[in-house]
Amino acid sequence: MRLLNVFVIGALILAAAVVYKIKFDSTLQAERVAKLAGELRRERDAIAALRAEWAKLDTSGRIQGLAERHLALKPMLPTQFDSLDHLPERPPAVATGNDPIGAMLAPAPETTGSVPALVNR
Amino acid sequence: MSPASKSPETRWQRFIRSFLYGLDVDRNVKAKARLGLAIVAFAAIYGVIALRLVMFAQQSNGHGLRRSVGQDAVATARPDILDRNGLILATDIKAPSLFAEPRKLIDVDEAEELLTAVLPDLDAKETRERLSSKRGFVWLKREITPKQQSEIHRLGIPGVGFLTENKRVYPNGPVVSHEIGHVNIDNQGIAGIEKWLDGQGLAALHMAGLATDRLQKPVELALDLRVQFALRDELFAAREQFKAKAASGVVLNVNTGEIVAMVSEPDYDPNNPREANDPTRINRLTTGVYEMGSTFKALTVAMALDSGKAMLASMFDASHPLHYGRFAIHDYEPMHRALSVPEIFTYSSNIGAARMALAVGVPAHHAFLKKMGQLDRLRTELPESAEPIVPKRWGELNTVTIAFGHGLSVAPLQAVMGVAATVNGGLLIPPTFLKRSESEAKALAKQVLKPETSREMRYLMRLNAEKGTATKANVGGYYIGGKTGTAEKVINGRYSKHKLLTDFMAVLPADKPKYLMMIMLDEPQPTPETHGFATAGWNAAPTAAKVISRIAPLLDLEPRFDLPNADQLILAKATTSQ
Repeated sequence: MRLLNVFVIGALILAAAVVYKIKFDSTLQAERVAKLAGELRRERDAIAALRAEWAKLDTSGRIQGLAERHLALKPMLPTQFDSLDHLPERPPAVATGNDPIGAMLAPAPETTGSVPALVNR
Repeated sequence: MSPASKSPETRWQRFIRSFLYGLDVDRNVKAKARLGLAIVAFAAIYGVIALRLVMFAQQSNGHGLRRSVGQDAVATARPDILDRNGLILATDIKAPSLFAEPRKLIDVDEAEELLTAVLPDLDAKETRERLSSKRGFVWLKREITPKQQSEIHRLGIPGVGFLTENKRVYPNGPVVSHEIGHVNIDNQGIAGIEKWLDGQGLAALHMAGLATDRLQKPVELALDLRVQFALRDELFAAREQFKAKAASGVVLNVNTGEIVAMVSEPDYDPNNPREANDPTRINRLTTGVYEMGSTFKALTVAMALDSGKAMLASMFDASHPLHYGRFAIHDYEPMHRALSVPEIFTYSSNIGAARMALAVGVPAHHAFLKKMGQLDRLRTELPESAEPIVPKRWGELNTVTIAFGHGLSVAPLQAVMGVAATVNGGLLIPPTFLKRSESEAKALAKQVLKPETSREMRYLMRLNAEKGTATKANVGGYYIGGKTGTAEKVINGRYSKHKLLTDFMAVLPADKPKYLMMIMLDEPQPTPETHGFATAGWNAAPTAAKVISRIAPLLDLEPRFDLPNADQLILAKATTSQ
């Protein structure tokens, strides 16, 4: 019985110490959480403000004004678009090596390229 | 256990014991049992406490957050509004607001003097009144700048403080004003999509004080900000050039009903909502009703073709003005002969259109326009809408005039919806400001015309751009079709020859429509470049051409050159598929 009492008292002190430690740690953590949450809120507000500012600086009206003032660019015309299949094929590679004339005489690799079309354009 | 307990009991002690426990009870056994009971009881209590602790630990994670809510947001947060590409149309930023607690104030005069020095636009008299009131809390100025905040903070006046509030900002200013509307100082929507948002449950959240969360899901509109800007820029220029009272335009996706751009110039800056009260700055496309003029002939011709009472080759007599009682219907450019349906459409013949409507009949005409949604109020997400002005008694004369767009006033957006149905394969799709996919639109759509009729209408629209009244809108490469409309405005109950409303509907591309664009000018003036004309072909159509050449690349329309003309590309396809 006496042994039990001693053991219980020991356990009690140990438990108290552990609980105190946990409590202390958790207060510390809670404070950190609150601080981080506050920081997050501030950062998020700052992001919102910067996003709004960016959106304001990025408005088409402002960009158009700047482009007209500082650039020599003109609005794009429909004729300036073309599709990829109108792209001419890559011209045959210029022969290199120690016998360029011989390479020229050799039968040219078969090409279906549209280099003449490029000249026409 | 102690030696004392072993000593023999006195008489007196034995008496007490027998009195308390009974005579033949062993006290040691009893004590052990009690001890056991106590242990169990205490173990149970500690067990319960431990359990509660675990439960608390799991629940109360909001301790740190709850602390911050008190000083947060009085004007509650609203979700961002984005355009279809994710560009910001409306967002919230935090702004400090100045308040005072008059009961805690020591010297009212000093406080008032110091505050008006920092905030010059603060009304001194009103501030003094507020500060000397007996209330516990008064606002002094909402939404001040951080600089002003720090200055006031440095003054160190007791009883004066700041609250951070959400402030709604519209970075694009007036460009999207009529769609998104605006909010009041308490961040409640009072017009446009902002008001619609409140109707979607946001207002209830505000009441409960729960809408403080910044992480609300943003609202994505169908609007394309770049297209919207290009449209507004060109309309602005057109309004200057033709000295018109107003200029408005819509770009509608005919397959989904999405409104990609909508401008009604003059507009207002939602950051300065006071401008919105000016009646000249209303949204003419949804809250105004107008006689649309000849663009309505598109509906008349579609009706006649769909009913089977007319075919493309049918001839209608337009040799003489059409007399009705004391009214006579004239053509703008009389041809003095019978006209075929394509001729009626491309010459924009009033007489021909009237005869086509009469061939279909009065009740059928009324029923058709009803079916096309032209006689009922068009409702979109925008809270503002206008009821069309429909004649009370619909007789033959009404049918005759409505056939060419007079005598029935509709909201322009409504007319756009109707004309879209004539070119998109005959589907009437209610327009929307929110994103919508083609399949969702199909589910909502109503088949109002035969697909064949729609193909013939596309042919007529394209023909009109090739050799009719819409040639000035024909931008090379985009295969545009269109119909002009010029309506005389009613001034003091009479049609005025000089106050015109011109509009233009453009289909792009006409062989496989994706978008329908409408341009409308209110009272454009003739200019030297238009050779003194003020009809739609001279102002609305060229404006449309300028807009199209700017927005088509933004709308992913590929320019295609050397396409055959309408007879071959649209009509021939129609006959082979029959």
